[in-house]
Amino acid sequence: MRNIKRHLSTAIFNCLLLIWTLFPVYWLLSLAVRSQGELIGHLRLWPERFSLEHFTALLADGQFSRTIVNSMKVTLLSTGFSLALGLGCAYILARLQFRFALRGPLLVWSFLVRVLPPIAFAMPLYMLMNRAGLLSSLVPLTLTHILMNLPFIIWFMIAFFQRFPLELEESARMDGASEWRCFRSVVLPVTAPGIAAVGILSFMTSWNEYLYAVIFVQSPANFTIPLALATFNSEQELAKWGQLAAGGVISALPVVLFVCFAQRFLIQGLSGGAVKE
Amino acid sequence: MKRAYKTTLIASLLPLVLAGCTGGTGVSSGTAQVAESSTVAQAEAGTTELTSTGAAAASTVAATTETLQMAATEQAATTLTIIARGGSHVDVINAVKDKFEQENNVTIEVLGLESDELKQKISLDAANANGSYDLAMADDPWMPEFAEAGIFRDLTEMGYEADSDFVQQSLDIGRNPYGSGDIYALPFSGNVQFFFYNKELLSSLQAEVPTDWAAVLDLAKAAKAAGTVGYVIRGQQGNPVVSDYLPILWSFGGAVFDDNWNVTVDSEAGKASLNFYLELLANGANYEKNDIVSAVSDGSAAMSLGWPSWYISDQGATAAYAVIPGKADADSTEYASGMIGNWMMGVTANSQQPELALKFLEYVTSAEAQKAGAEVGGVPTRSSVLSDPELLARYPYFQTLLDGTRNSMVRPRTTHWSEIETAYGTELSNAVAGTKSVDAALADAKTAIEKIMQ
Amino acid sequence: MKQEKRATAFAYSMGLPALVVLVGLSVFPLLYILIYSFTDYTLLAREAPAWVGWANYTEILQDPYFQQALLNTIKFAFLAVLLETGLGLLMALQVIRMPSGQRLLRTLLLLPVLLPGVTVALTWQTMFSNNDGILNQLLAWFGLPAVNWLQDPGTAFYAILAIDAWQYAPFAFLLIYAALQTVPASQYEAAQLDGAGSWARFRYITLPNIQSAILLTALLRMIDSFRLFDKVNILTRGGPANTTATITQYIYQNGVRSLKIGYGGAASVLMTLLVLLLSLTYIRRMFPASGRGAGHRRRVKQGRAWRLLERDRQVRRETKP
Repeated sequence: MRNIKRHLSTAIFNCLLLIWTLFPVYWLLSLAVRSQGELIGHLRLWPERFSLEHFTALLADGQFSRTIVNSMKVTLLSTGFSLALGLGCAYILARLQFRFALRGPLLVWSFLVRVLPPIAFAMPLYMLMNRAGLLSSLVPLTLTHILMNLPFIIWFMIAFFQRFPLELEESARMDGASEWRCFRSVVLPVTAPGIAAVGILSFMTSWNEYLYAVIFVQSPANFTIPLALATFNSEQELAKWGQLAAGGVISALPVVLFVCFAQRFLIQGLSGGAVKE
Repeated sequence: MKRAYKTTLIASLLPLVLAGCTGGTGVSSGTAQVAESSTVAQAEAGTTELTSTGAAAASTVAATTETLQMAATEQAATTLTIIARGGSHVDVINAVKDKFEQENNVTIEVLGLESDELKQKISLDAANANGSYDLAMADDPWMPEFAEAGIFRDLTEMGYEADSDFVQQSLDIGRNPYGSGDIYALPFSGNVQFFFYNKELLSSLQAEVPTDWAAVLDLAKAAKAAGTVGYVIRGQQGNPVVSDYLPILWSFGGAVFDDNWNVTVDSEAGKASLNFYLELLANGANYEKNDIVSAVSDGSAAMSLGWPSWYISDQGATAAYAVIPGKADADSTEYASGMIGNWMMGVTANSQQPELALKFLEYVTSAEAQKAGAEVGGVPTRSSVLSDPELLARYPYFQTLLDGTRNSMVRPRTTHWSEIETAYGTELSNAVAGTKSVDAALADAKTAIEKIMQ
Repeated sequence: MKQEKRATAFAYSMGLPALVVLVGLSVFPLLYILIYSFTDYTLLAREAPAWVGWANYTEILQDPYFQQALLNTIKFAFLAVLLETGLGLLMALQVIRMPSGQRLLRTLLLLPVLLPGVTVALTWQTMFSNNDGILNQLLAWFGLPAVNWLQDPGTAFYAILAIDAWQYAPFAFLLIYAALQTVPASQYEAAQLDGAGSWARFRYITLPNIQSAILLTALLRMIDSFRLFDKVNILTRGGPANTTATITQYIYQNGVRSLKIGYGGAASVLMTLLVLLLSLTYIRRMFPASGRGAGHRRRVKQGRAWRLLERDRQVRRETKP
């Protein structure tokens, strides 16, 4: 009896959690498929008519597809570079037996970079990139996204590496494996869930980043998705709900795909195990 | 080729900055150790090389930058870049640019941004000798700030002659000093605030379109009694509440500043108008703009103020525009009260091809272009276009727009307007939310604005 | 000896590139902000910036708008961290227990955090609309009066908080879920053999194992919630009556809208110091100054947890009728 009650309350709780998470997502989807006439106001729970006009309007003008390509370039490059730089760095920071004189400065600095408000950072970075003549490319955006994601990866992965017992590594070293091999073939596979998690979150941060994008993009050819979406809302004009929502849906697709891909690593590593009831 | 540029630049930028900022010692010792390492991961392979070639790269970076800038100038000879407010303004430019592109053998690129970011980007680029943009759009309250900073070129000096077809009030905004000086920018989009009402609701209440605020309040009460929302205010903190309230302040004979720049927000007229504004709220509601348009268009609310581009011409929509009332009640003095909010466009001072830019500016503000632009949501600024019979048949509110602009009021011409709007908007929001009394809010607004003006 | 040298070389080859990138890209902006925060630099001003000493700082601290923004931000950060980490932990514990369908559920739960900010804000705006929005329709269905969610000083703050919690609880969920995946199965098996209950297993095995992940998630969320800005800027602009004003929005008003670089810079420095101060305890905990590593400490801790589990079991045995 008590068991049934407990299961029931868990089930109810789970349902509420799902509704809470998914209702706004449903609402977004419903905005994207309502006709323009319906979007004026008094939106009911279910769309009156199903319409793809906002999607066709967005994709008909080549600009939006170009922004997807730009976003893709920046996001993949910055996530890739951040992971490549951040994982190894977090590993040596987590393992105190490595002699690395700059451990303290690196820790403090990466934390500081994470804490500093991008809103203040953007302007001097613009001046720096401007001086370097980089503003006509996507390079500044990619670099700043690395700057944003690198500390996050370092900090979260330190905690992950620390939790991983030294024994496995040590036995690999005994067998004569080089440090790099040991890191690559022993440490990385076991910490795959953590890497997948920070990978997903870095990807999504970079994909949806607006503040740096708006300051570094100098030509419509370099627009990213958040920039294109932002122009659908302005003070003197009505918000274009339909196109905003449709754009949001299109924008989410690549990220969802990436999540699906990264999920395969989100399962337990070598010595891991699932929580069992 | 392009790729090689980028790679060299990334490679050269990092060590350059590092060497410039932290001194080379830490880096070089690190490099030595890296070089010793037999196990070098892919990730740092590039960086190792990068650090050791830092010095060489640093010396080439200047050269590369120069080449790049030259390339940019070369390219710019055939491209005009416009930095604009995103949305319908960009649609208008894109809709009319083809003809100009063909005739002059240029490409027009339009960068559409949100307004705050637009201002920031124009200001940042102004420091460059070679501007990234040839033409820039500016919201009308920015004009004093932009003029002071020399962001726009003097068009009069370039030989531009004032065109009397522009509505005078719109053209005046582009002059520095306001209304009398040389022309620095031309009116691109003729936004001016309107009185926005629901026709059917008004006729069901057997009411005329009100011409003074007392009548507006009476009507709001009647509408409320009939079960609908009377008057909708746009009471969001910041720009919305300030834009929504200023016309009432002006109608009551008040002003933010007097002629000698003394702050007068808390004058008798100021207090009376804010109390009146709250009374309107009591007989209505406080909505965000999309809701205002929705409510007035479908008749669930009777009246509000609005911008022309909110106009909804869908079937079933029964909203219409009129000029904003300019007097407190039937017997009081009439003032100009419609807040003007034109979007201007000027040639940037650091454009490398000002003549061509001016030519495009004249083209895009010409009667022909404005007529074509109206089809995609453009708001004309020329009398001839606003009274064009063909357009009037399709957009009957153009007549109101012309009358409204002639009866309009500009926000105070000060370089500090954006700060004042923030401070004033905060206190107005306090009054609307009821967290401060009218007198206290206005007194605090006065103190805050005085501090900004020091 | 040779091996140690190699290990050190390895450490530098791993650590230096990241350090170079981080320092290279941030030294100039950092110095720029710091130095100009002591001047009256305004981007569009004709005159050269003048040194004003601490004037910007004192002026900011005395500004009632800033004080309100500061209070709001701290309150927001506290509540957001609590809600998001709590919800994320619950989600993670529920999902990891599912016998099947974890993959689908993970993707569904992650959706809010994947959507672009503007779209999120405006979608919620239509839901919160007080002109017959869907939430007010729901209230009406229950016979309750309509609420002006985003314009009422009593609700606006919590409306923004709800959006943030909705959007970022999945962030916490993902990080905690990943940490749960690495809890050694052997520990559970041992506990199972000992007959430890589910609460005891959670308390003495799960929690100690994911504690650092939870704390770190909370820290990251705290830093980010200090940057709360886009929702506020789109939905309320700090109002009504400043109830949703935040520090970042204050910096934006001054640094971006009014282009007062010096003043905005000073506000940024203050905010950075505040966040550093608030996270200091955490950093100390994670990286003790002594030579003994945190990894070592953790194992000691885990040992302690095990002893606790042992005691728990004993108590159970004794109290069994």
